[in-house]
Amino acid sequence: MATISSSTRCCSSSLAYSNSSYIGFHHHQKNVPFSLVSPNRIGSKRVSLQSKSNPYSNVIIMQDGAVGTTAATVEKKAPLKKLKDGLSSDTSPEEHKEPIEVGVNSDKSTVSITVVGASGDLAKKKIFPALFALYYEDCLPEHFTIFGYSRSKMTDAELRNMVSRTLTCRIDKRENCGEKMEQFLKRCFYQSGQYDSQENFMELDKTLKEHEAGRVSNRLFYLSIPPNIFVDAVRCASLSASASNGWTRVIVEKPFGRDSESSAALTRALKQYLEEDQIFRIDHYLGKELVENLSVLRFSNLIFEPLWSRQYIRNVQLIFSEDFGTEGRGGYFDHYGIIRDIMQNHLLQILALFAMETPVSLDAEDIRNEKVKVLRSMKPLRIDDVVVGQYKSHTKGGVIYPGYTDDKTVLKDSLTPTFAAAALFIHNARWDGVPFLMKAGKALHNRRTEIRVQFRHVPGNLYNRNFGTDLDQATNELVIRVQPDEAIYLKINNKVPGLGMRLDRSNLNLLYKARYSKEIPDAYERLLLDAIEGERRLFIRSDELDAAWSLFTPVLKELEEKRTIPEYYPYGSRGPVGSHYLAARNNVKWGDLGVDE
Amino acid sequence: MAIQLSHCSSSSTTFSSLHHETSYFSKWVTEIHFRRQLRNHFELKSANGYPLNAVPMQDGSVAKPLEEEVPFPEFGETNSMLSITVVGASGDLAKKKIFPALFALYYEDWLPENFVVYGYARTKMTDEELRNMISKTLTCRIDSRENCQAKMEEFLKRCFYHSGQYNSPEDFLELNCKLKEREGGKLSNRLFYLSIPPNIFVDVVRCASTKASSATGWTRVIVEKPFGRDSDSSRELTKCLMQYLTEDQIFRIDHYLGKELVENLSVLRFSNLVFEPLWSRNYIRNVQFIFSEDFGTEGRGGYFDNYGIIRDIMQNHLLQILALFAMETPVSLDAEDIRNEKVKVLKSMKPLQLEDVIVGQYKGHSKGGKSYPGYIDDPTVPKDSVTPTFAAAALFINNARWDGVPFLMKAGKALHTKRAEIRVQFRHVPGNLYKRNFGTDLDKATNELVLRLQPDEAIYLKINNKVPGLGMRLDRSDLNLLYRTRYTREIPDAYERLLLDAIEGERRLFIRSDELHAAWTLFTPVLKEMEEKKIMPELYPYGSRGPVGAHYLAAKHDVRWGDLTGED
Repeated sequence: MATISSSTRCCSSSLAYSNSSYIGFHHHQKNVPFSLVSPNRIGSKRVSLQSKSNPYSNVIIMQDGAVGTTAATVEKKAPLKKLKDGLSSDTSPEEHKEPIEVGVNSDKSTVSITVVGASGDLAKKKIFPALFALYYEDCLPEHFTIFGYSRSKMTDAELRNMVSRTLTCRIDKRENCGEKMEQFLKRCFYQSGQYDSQENFMELDKTLKEHEAGRVSNRLFYLSIPPNIFVDAVRCASLSASASNGWTRVIVEKPFGRDSESSAALTRALKQYLEEDQIFRIDHYLGKELVENLSVLRFSNLIFEPLWSRQYIRNVQLIFSEDFGTEGRGGYFDHYGIIRDIMQNHLLQILALFAMETPVSLDAEDIRNEKVKVLRSMKPLRIDDVVVGQYKSHTKGGVIYPGYTDDKTVLKDSLTPTFAAAALFIHNARWDGVPFLMKAGKALHNRRTEIRVQFRHVPGNLYNRNFGTDLDQATNELVIRVQPDEAIYLKINNKVPGLGMRLDRSNLNLLYKARYSKEIPDAYERLLLDAIEGERRLFIRSDELDAAWSLFTPVLKELEEKRTIPEYYPYGSRGPVGSHYLAARNNVKWGDLGVDE
Repeated sequence: MAIQLSHCSSSSTTFSSLHHETSYFSKWVTEIHFRRQLRNHFELKSANGYPLNAVPMQDGSVAKPLEEEVPFPEFGETNSMLSITVVGASGDLAKKKIFPALFALYYEDWLPENFVVYGYARTKMTDEELRNMISKTLTCRIDSRENCQAKMEEFLKRCFYHSGQYNSPEDFLELNCKLKEREGGKLSNRLFYLSIPPNIFVDVVRCASTKASSATGWTRVIVEKPFGRDSDSSRELTKCLMQYLTEDQIFRIDHYLGKELVENLSVLRFSNLVFEPLWSRNYIRNVQFIFSEDFGTEGRGGYFDNYGIIRDIMQNHLLQILALFAMETPVSLDAEDIRNEKVKVLKSMKPLQLEDVIVGQYKGHSKGGKSYPGYIDDPTVPKDSVTPTFAAAALFINNARWDGVPFLMKAGKALHTKRAEIRVQFRHVPGNLYKRNFGTDLDKATNELVLRLQPDEAIYLKINNKVPGLGMRLDRSDLNLLYRTRYTREIPDAYERLLLDAIEGERRLFIRSDELHAAWTLFTPVLKEMEEKKIMPELYPYGSRGPVGAHYLAAKHDVRWGDLTGED
């Protein structure tokens, strides 16, 4: 039953409340005074389990889009299965307890979340708001405290003031928001200290202990700090502020090194102080709704899996574009470039999820095993299969958009790519010969992330003559738009209504906005919650990271050694022409630049 | 020449070869060359409506390039004349469907330059009276368009009336004279639309064929159902028609085949890679053909009572759609190739057993103070009638592609909704990783493709999707294509398409004699058995979801009706 608690997702509303008491409640009534058990807590913890294990009874009535909120009737006949039983293998002792004890223990255990680098941008914009959203949705355990840690001197009140200013961004229009926010802020504290000072972390430990008040302590450290101090902070936190009787986990953000060697060195250093299962390498793209849905689409729909191979798929495109440049903050970026910043991690992770074989189960280790297999099957990337670009300034409508090297934080002679396109291949039975094209760029004409799957031509197409000479225009295409405006659509050939026989491509459409009225949670919420619950599915394992770097390091080295000049493209344009030639060499057309997009 | 013309209906424009000779289409002049090229080269349009490629391709079909040079003796030039004679012009179908469809074709410039429309019936009427009658019903479809009034005037000027008996060769001879007069020595093509009761089909065909056939061009006859009421009577009818007409002069209309989404069925299957691999027993669990009407016979049950819902809807409309759905890939899109494949499906069908059919009849029902009459309350229906107004059947195709896949049909009157749709239910995902997210009823987690033929044409594919949020809840969402939102253009009525096809000699959507024969062979034994045993239909209330028996029939074959799940 450990998995029950770990797989719980409070956030799916109150729909399964009646059932939630069904699991835990009897036990509570038998074993503990009822007053000890906050109904809300049970509700919040168990609800999600219900909705996860028994989604279908709700589902049928949800075609109207009122997902979850209206579904008060939950059929009890659905078995209360755990969602991801594999969690049990690596969850902490506390999570392994029987449900009886879980209920009781939840009173006795606590989670402390320490945001290291609390005054930084990411912390303010993403981490604290995500934590608040989780709290608002009753996803956090009953006892939790949040600590901000950084070098700045600040009081608790000052931190709260700082946090409260950014909390408004997501859910401020909801019911009781003000009240909830007060409650949340009361649980936020601040501790100032150096990142490499064991003494300072010892002080943190002391304060944490005070708040834990003798309960089982679980500690999550979120390292929102520059990579050069990762190891120091991990050392100090691990040696001086680890939980004595619960779990200690550390979330780290990219960059995880800048090539195979530095990444391996970082991993080695982290492993001096942490076990593999304590390290949570975050890739926030994996927390995005439609990336999560990718596996659902593939593995729970009969109609997709038969098509998911070289036999039917002509090419796959992973596209990331931003419509702004570095905007005066290029210092960090200039050291990494777009390939390291976007491709080697986000896009490659999505590729691995897309292309992996069916895992044995949905357990984190099973999925990550399959992903590693994909990465290790990849054909080494050659420099001819990569195109790099850099944006230059552009004047449009009287507005001057600065070029990359106009950014004051960037070297004037920087060759760092702000755009890259690459053609990758997977040497396995499923994907041999299918080009996987990636494209990522800053300062382009639009902002979007999407996966495009282009299918082959229909062999012996009866309607060939209806398509003119360009048969490419008549192939099916599945588009999964990760952001913005989440959607899934399948382009099909269809007869234009009328007396003639004209065909065109129409979309079979699923626009999330139209179908699901509920707000889609930010990727950070999902990932933080997963880390708290010990769900590792969406975090990068060390061997995955190694494999990802092995793929890109040689090309990155070569680009740097040869000082390859990027192709310049105007700010706000569609990127360098070179990416079209790269695509054309692989007999591909970028789907995002077609006429019907 | 019909072969060349057979492609015209399939392009965005037809008869373009006519246009260059006339000032009538002057505004199109600049487009003529362009349109001519396109005539046999279908356009692929992008989603934003711009042609992706307007360049005619060098396709492999040998006959096509010749076409531009060969003159069209039938009506390719101004010296030919098409006359359309609607026999039974004062009837309901003629007024509601045929004349409006002809006008719509005229309005959209699909008819040849020279044409006349003749009404023929026993009623005494002047040309003026006919025009007056027609004009009253023309308004129904395109009256709000530009120039509609002017167009209508022009159209009506070409409409004439001739009164006569249906079995009188003399009267048809007179018609022939009038037609000749109108044709004024031009090459004449004649289309007869028989909008008359079946018992006088043969008389009219005899008279028309012997006395009013075209001397120089073609003569074609469109006949409407019923084509007999069982194998014997149908064969008899065909035999009689064949005395006076050859197979390629007979156009048996099944107006369901003219519906937009039925036309699109082949396009979906054969021009999309994503569907064809799934189109077999390996992936498809069952297929459902559903027809329901939300009204009864409403005082006009006389004809219906003699036929019943199986003959009226299943044996023709639903079975035709089934054949199109299940056929193998034809050699080409030519009529004969397609009809060959359809016949093969019909001939492969397992004989229908009585236990695989259930029948129902609606009874009176009061709701909200209003009472709805039962079938036998209809004064035109015998009080003890056991004619089914509802039927469901499970059919099987004994071939490599479909062995074991139930094809369920359901058709009924006086039900709770009005709709016609095809539902394709796919199998379970083998070894589904997400099984436990679906609860106990895995049937609810399968994919389903729905083609809604009417009303509100749509195609949607039900897929399992993660409900956005932090949990892992799955639900079924639709990948959707609602025609109304995607295509602003009006969808033409089935009769327009079919009339145009008949004019062009495109036989794809008409029923060939052997198809008809195979269709009757399938249903006749069961129909006979039911009538001999006087099977009592299960009674269901007017406006309900039909008899419960339909669910038991489905359950017997491990199927759930997709239209009654509460999801749609």
